[in-house]
Amino acid sequence: MKRFISLLLAAVIAATPALASVDDALSYALEAAQPYVKEGFTVREDYWGGDMAVKQAKAITHQLFKGNEYWFWIGTDEKAAKVSVHIYDSEGNLCEVEGWQKGQFGAARVIPKRTGTYYLIVEVEKSNRERTHWGMAYGFR
Amino acid sequence: MKKITLLAISFLSATVLAEPPAKIDVSRLPKESRVVDDVIVPVPSEIFGVLDKLGKPNWAGVLRPLKGVAKPFGEPQQQALYLGSVIAEGFIAVEAGDVAEVKNIGNSVLSLSGALGVRKAVTKRANAIINAADAGNWPLVRKELDGALNEVKDAMTELGSGDLASMVSLGGWLRGTEALCDVVAKNYSKDGADLLHQPALLDHFDARLGALKARAKKHALVPKIQAGLKNIRPLIGLTDGTEISAKSVKEVRDIAAGLVKDIQTK
Repeated sequence: MKRFISLLLAAVIAATPALASVDDALSYALEAAQPYVKEGFTVREDYWGGDMAVKQAKAITHQLFKGNEYWFWIGTDEKAAKVSVHIYDSEGNLCEVEGWQKGQFGAARVIPKRTGTYYLIVEVEKSNRERTHWGMAYGFR
Repeated sequence: MKKITLLAISFLSATVLAEPPAKIDVSRLPKESRVVDDVIVPVPSEIFGVLDKLGKPNWAGVLRPLKGVAKPFGEPQQQALYLGSVIAEGFIAVEAGDVAEVKNIGNSVLSLSGALGVRKAVTKRANAIINAADAGNWPLVRKELDGALNEVKDAMTELGSGDLASMVSLGGWLRGTEALCDVVAKNYSKDGADLLHQPALLDHFDARLGALKARAKKHALVPKIQAGLKNIRPLIGLTDGTEISAKSVKEVRDIAAGLVKDIQTK
């Protein structure tokens, strides 16, 4: 039993920094979202994140609705890193109408021309770390 | 978790991104590049928001008031599906501006969450729903309903009941789809019908049902819903931009309504 508890504690201690970093990355994404809340965007209380190697893009499938306008925000806790998010339609065409990137933050806006499946491509473009934590949030109006 | 750090950042100096590729081959996205949660299921507010922009539907006519506070029945799969459908009803009650029904639904969410072992996780949200309804703060009620849905699912996932979390989403989706079809069928428009084009979500729910543990799959509702999803698939447009006819909208409504009735029947 004691051995099990020790192992459990060790696992928790080992995992804590990683979780904290994803949390921090999410907090940066939410920070990027703040100015848009004032513009009437509802930020969904659900977030996506993890860790990635540099230039190892990840795809997230998303159902978007024509009639809404969306902003997607990505952040990382790594100061030297550069992260990005881009939006493609079901045929693979880049469809964001606006985007920006500033160090630890990135964002893209889309006004879907059709209701359907879209792909968010998130990527760590530059980082000093082997794996970089990232967090993404989105809002709509 | 999910905390917001308050650093003063100016976005005015944000730089334009390096040009991303103008086109990618989405059929060849490598498997390892997929995020674990294979599709983002939208919150009901995203759909209701669009409907609001399209006109003023008669939500009171779509609302199906509960007969008192909903009581749990059946096995956990059915309870979870029922909970999802009740939360979806909450969104309709908000649209209808029905304070009494929203409060009833808040209490029903507590009752059903208790049976699934996640009452504690949603108590604060349910109370916030009731208080905001009393105050007539509908945007806040919507936000709290979205939050309740997420917290129920998160709590279930933390308890190791990821399958039940999917059932909550599915129950909500079915009732939401039925309501959406009702609204669109009563005042058909191409843009309104287009909201039904959700192939990735159908595939997602179908995959979740297919991945249920053997015991859960034996529940009578599972094959019924699988068959229903299969029948809905060709009706919602096979490709983006395909026009969904008024006849198809009614057929989807009938399928979804039948499944919701099964979910809500002992």
